[in-house]
Amino acid sequence: MRVSLRWLQDYIDLPTSDPDELAAVLVSLGHEVEGYERLAPTFSGVVVGRVETVSAHPDADRIRLCQVDSGEGPVEVVCGAWNFEAGAIVPVARPGATLGTLEITQRAIRGVVSNGMICSSAELGLGSDHEGILVLDESFPIGADLADHLELPDVVFDVSITPNRPDAMSMTGLARDLSAYFRVPIRMPDVSDPGGIGTTDLSVTIDDARCLRFTARHVAGTKVGPSPLWMQQRLSKAGVRAISNVVDISNYVMLELGQPTHAFDLDRVRGASIVVRGPLPGERLTTLDGVERTLDASHLVVADQEVASSLAGTMGGQESEVGEDTTNVLVEVAAWDPATVMKMSRSLDLHSEASSRFERGVDPNLPPAANHRMCSLLVKLAGGRVEGDLIDVYPTPVAPWDVQLSVADVVRTLGEGVDRQEIIDLLTRLRFEVSGGDPMIVTVPTFRPDVRRGVDLVEEIARLRGYDSFPDTLPAGGGGGLSISQRRTRRLRQVLLGAGLSEAQSFSFHGADALARLGLPADDIRRSSIRVRNPLREEESLLRTTLLPGLLGAARYNVSHGNLDVALFEIGRVFYDEASPEIGQVPHQPMHVGFLWVGSAKAGVSEEAAPVDVFTATAVVRTIAEHLRLGWLEFVPVPYPPLHPVRAAAVQLDGVVIGHVGELHPRVARAWDLPGRVAMGELDLAPLVADPGLWQFAEPSVYPPSDFDLAFEVDEAVPAAALLAAVAKGSGPLLESIDLFDEFRGGRLEKGRKSLALRIRTRSSTGTLTSEDVAAVRADAIRAAEKLGATLRGA
Amino acid sequence: MAVILHGSMDALERIRADAPARVAAARTLDELKDVEAGLIGRSSVIGEMRRGLGGLDPGERPRVGQAVNEAAQELQALLAQRRLALESEAEDRLLAEDAVDVTLPGRLLGEGHPHLITSTIDELVDIFVSLGYRVAEGPEVETGWHNFDALNTPPDHPARAESDTMYVEFGDPADELLLRTQTSPMQVRYMQEHEPPVYVVVPGRCYRTDTLDPTHSPVFHQMEGLAVDAHITFGDLKGTLGRFAREFFGAGTETRFIPHFFPFTEPSAEMLVSCFACDGSGCRVCGGPGWIEILGCGMVDPNVFEAVGYDVERVTGFAFGMGIERIAMIRHGLTHIKHLFENDVRVLRQFGS
Repeated sequence: MRVSLRWLQDYIDLPTSDPDELAAVLVSLGHEVEGYERLAPTFSGVVVGRVETVSAHPDADRIRLCQVDSGEGPVEVVCGAWNFEAGAIVPVARPGATLGTLEITQRAIRGVVSNGMICSSAELGLGSDHEGILVLDESFPIGADLADHLELPDVVFDVSITPNRPDAMSMTGLARDLSAYFRVPIRMPDVSDPGGIGTTDLSVTIDDARCLRFTARHVAGTKVGPSPLWMQQRLSKAGVRAISNVVDISNYVMLELGQPTHAFDLDRVRGASIVVRGPLPGERLTTLDGVERTLDASHLVVADQEVASSLAGTMGGQESEVGEDTTNVLVEVAAWDPATVMKMSRSLDLHSEASSRFERGVDPNLPPAANHRMCSLLVKLAGGRVEGDLIDVYPTPVAPWDVQLSVADVVRTLGEGVDRQEIIDLLTRLRFEVSGGDPMIVTVPTFRPDVRRGVDLVEEIARLRGYDSFPDTLPAGGGGGLSISQRRTRRLRQVLLGAGLSEAQSFSFHGADALARLGLPADDIRRSSIRVRNPLREEESLLRTTLLPGLLGAARYNVSHGNLDVALFEIGRVFYDEASPEIGQVPHQPMHVGFLWVGSAKAGVSEEAAPVDVFTATAVVRTIAEHLRLGWLEFVPVPYPPLHPVRAAAVQLDGVVIGHVGELHPRVARAWDLPGRVAMGELDLAPLVADPGLWQFAEPSVYPPSDFDLAFEVDEAVPAAALLAAVAKGSGPLLESIDLFDEFRGGRLEKGRKSLALRIRTRSSTGTLTSEDVAAVRADAIRAAEKLGATLRGA
Repeated sequence: MAVILHGSMDALERIRADAPARVAAARTLDELKDVEAGLIGRSSVIGEMRRGLGGLDPGERPRVGQAVNEAAQELQALLAQRRLALESEAEDRLLAEDAVDVTLPGRLLGEGHPHLITSTIDELVDIFVSLGYRVAEGPEVETGWHNFDALNTPPDHPARAESDTMYVEFGDPADELLLRTQTSPMQVRYMQEHEPPVYVVVPGRCYRTDTLDPTHSPVFHQMEGLAVDAHITFGDLKGTLGRFAREFFGAGTETRFIPHFFPFTEPSAEMLVSCFACDGSGCRVCGGPGWIEILGCGMVDPNVFEAVGYDVERVTGFAFGMGIERIAMIRHGLTHIKHLFENDVRVLRQFGS
């Protein structure tokens, strides 16, 4: 809301007019000030004058001579404009005045001395009209300083009113809050009944309980035309475009009192009777913005005897709109059920100044005052006369309500230091009435629909007292800390960072095309994504079932921007279309860790950079396992789209599959515009960061080790891991470690066979091993290998 | 015999006198070996004298023997000293051949960078852990009840509209499953599962129907905090968050609390911190006023306690929530929120804590 300081000062004598100070006060009261604008006239020394006579210039056809009185007797002014005659009230720049950078002096024009200049609105910086001079109205006293009468200079604050404070969405509402703060009274505008002549045959019927109150009055004989300049100025400062006196008055009353009003052309309201009702089936209404709208039962209309004339509290209809020839105005000032207006404006996507106030809750006791105010202004500024009495239909009057509040309630929330006397003072200043002992009985005025409970009053007390007035304290706290899995998740992150991967964050959703580019089979669980019902874009329509598309998208972005070596990981949730095992109502949404490495690992100068491959992927997992002290880790070769058919493995931890790693299928890599091999993996987070239990010390042996090498020839089909596992299992308790140090094909080996060389270390914790001990381990190891079809080479 | 002896004793003196020059003249270890043989080898004067000792008078033998031994020891020390010097020279020559340009880029052992969102969350979490808070996370697909109803948000509240909240097609439509718009629903779950006192922070991902622009993203992160105990006051809220601000933004940071409105707290406030970039004189970071909005907070509304089954007569509490991206962007001068989700390596490389 744009708030003119000069306008505001109509209602309250503020002890300061410093905009920074006032902004700070508004903010401390909960009215956020987004900023303020200083308005200054671009002219000085311009006064209001009356044109006494107009006569022809002796030597020129296109300019005239005017006798203008601006309070000090008539003086002659030469003027080239023709849009006024004698009697007009005009702005006069007397000698010494400035218009922008132009200084006005007494000078001769075609031989006649002109004592100043009559100004156009463009010359005054008030508009773009160059055609004629600015003709003022009777509200401008002769001799008055024009700038001052236009309330310039001024400051306009841009204030955000929070949705709980409909009462503050007006000039008088803000004045009321400021008066509580500054302890000064406010001056309300005259809202007394202007009195009507005779009787009216207007009738109002409320057929729907969603209308809380409806007041109406007939103002006859209005002459539609421009509103006075001062009103246009005020509306303009408030950001409202001036349209005509009737419409401007309606807007002015809303801004002044916070009560939206509506003016109908009564001659277009059939039968002079108003019915508030739900729409008829299929009923249509063309609103003021020219849009024809089809209404439904959730809507509410103000109708004449035949058709809907306006949307309740939201927008008027085009047919009954006040136009240039309107002479009979029907003034509607009503109160509506907030939820109804909110639903209506939302379902029709129609948001107006009126609906924004009604949906927050306008005081149902305000309509008569606002109606009187509007009628008085129509009489004064549009030449109307009020016909008959105010019609006021108010089926269920709302009275101020009582809320109980004890001092203890206040202290419990705000702390010690606020006593009963202060509570009463603060609440009274905010126009609550306080009575009773403890608890106090606080009577809430009907313009504060947000105050229903004791805690609402506590907030009011804190707000007016000032949040900064409460001393800072620290509560006891409760033994904080991270859980084991939270600590291990941090550790996991550090391990991956240390291994050279950077952390990524990608959106949790993607489009159908991203899944399609992965080339997953039709029955893959990752293809049954949960759908977002109202996505803004197709790319945000499916919740991710895997972290891979996000990582691939990031890789593609980088490669296309010339970043060819990309190593990323992401830890985040994926979403499965199945119920969560822990929380019934929501889907299963486990945390995953995914990683991707494209390009090559960093090398030094003159070294060959090693391109990434499947072993980069397995190395990442092994690094995690080492650092997080995971259990028994195995890579089980298995095809797993979108991975390379024979360069992929399931990751098993203690026999349970926790994810997959490998190289990306080259076809998928092409679909994501990625060159070369791409190492990737995706694992469940939970088993990685689960509590592994306390580890126990193993005493290192003091005896020397005994090492020997074995080279086996074995079928390609036998994975190295299987041979290692078999040998490890078969070698008995003296085995300390096995390292695979060579893999070899070709040479004298048959096709389909390969050689695997193992270095085996044995050691005992009880003594130095004898050659017989070692020979026995060796024999066991060979036997175990032979069970897999391996033969010892060189034997 | 005595003549020989006396002649030998003279020779010994001459050898001792000449030795330093001979030793110093050896330029290599090989040359030094030759010098050594000439001074104390078998066929040297000393070697011959040692062999001749057995033929001397028993009366003469100790005196001559002692003189020979002393001379030999002296020469050995001289030789050892020279050997050390020559060895060291030889090694220096070898090392010189090993010269490289040490300013060449070395091999990095891993250059991963933590994401700014995560490291900011970690930093925030650590501050609250030090104040006695635990950390909880929660589901990102939530029920309408947890995200709204339990948080005192009426059924017709604008935040529930599809223009603000993303709903998902899952489960019972009556549960109104949605992508949580705030981390606050986890407050509710945490209180349902824990009896007071409760001190917990909830970092996590949230979603809103926002088009990506410099400061908005449909995916973003928040951290929520909740303290519920027998005597939590508004002063505790201010004190705790003031402490946080000084830890996070610097010891000299000032805080201001201004009234605001949230459905689930009353009184509600926004916390502003004094601008860490300009200390109030106005700059690009704070946009002029010297104060930056950092978070929303307030005393937990009794309706929320009732929704989770807490006794409103026995506990009070405060809650707060802050946007991670906003704080991180302000602090590090990021110009567009997209930089946090594009994962451009050139951006990630700037991250670190």
